[in-house]
Amino acid sequence: MSVLVRARELIGRPVVTLDGDDIAQVKDLVFDNVSGQVDGFTLNGRGAFAGPLPEALAWEAVYSCGPDAVMIRDRHALTLRDSVVTHPDMSEADVLGSRVISEGGRDLGQVVDVIVLVASVADVVGYEIESSPELSTDRRHLLIPLPDTLSVSGEALIVPEAAIEFVSGDFAEFGAAVEAFRARLRATT
Amino acid sequence: MSWWAWLAVVLVAVAIIVVGFLVVQARRRGGGVIATARRKSRKNRGGPQ
Repeated sequence: MSVLVRARELIGRPVVTLDGDDIAQVKDLVFDNVSGQVDGFTLNGRGAFAGPLPEALAWEAVYSCGPDAVMIRDRHALTLRDSVVTHPDMSEADVLGSRVISEGGRDLGQVVDVIVLVASVADVVGYEIESSPELSTDRRHLLIPLPDTLSVSGEALIVPEAAIEFVSGDFAEFGAAVEAFRARLRATT
Repeated sequence: MSWWAWLAVVLVAVAIIVVGFLVVQARRRGGGVIATARRKSRKNRGGPQ
């Protein structure tokens, strides 16, 4: 079974062991800038005075990712942060707030959230953007699908021109929009 | 110690606690979505059931 979730819904979610220990909470979601696969999470400690943890949670150590908690077998599921985060400067690599530009050079808007398809693996499949006047005059939030292979290396996020045709304002229908968009790309290559 | 000395000690302690709390909260804030380079081979990856 797969489910679409917004990355901001995962951020702050508690990390709980199967023994019921609430040991951390999700700080950042980390994903591969080419394949879009989620590598894992950086973590904050629990409690008002707990800061960021030196450990991280790799996706393969996640037992289940439910609506209220990320479940792991036990504390040993956590790993060294460096094995999940390879980027030296986290703030530079954060896609929230980045501009989305089409291959045709159109500024489509600014990323306000990232859409993740969660199954046995988790993939980044779209961006939620505050649309530019190029897409809509009222700057509303729209969902833009992404191809299988991403382009997330510079300051702007580049998407194929065809993605504009599959922009959706409806989260419930976005999964179908992603599939249709990717099928279109496969048919044209 | 006179009462004002005790008051000063208490105020300093409260200030330290408040500043510590604010510093920690500032560090905790700013959760994001990080795009990073390929970490390792993706063969035989596990994940949620």
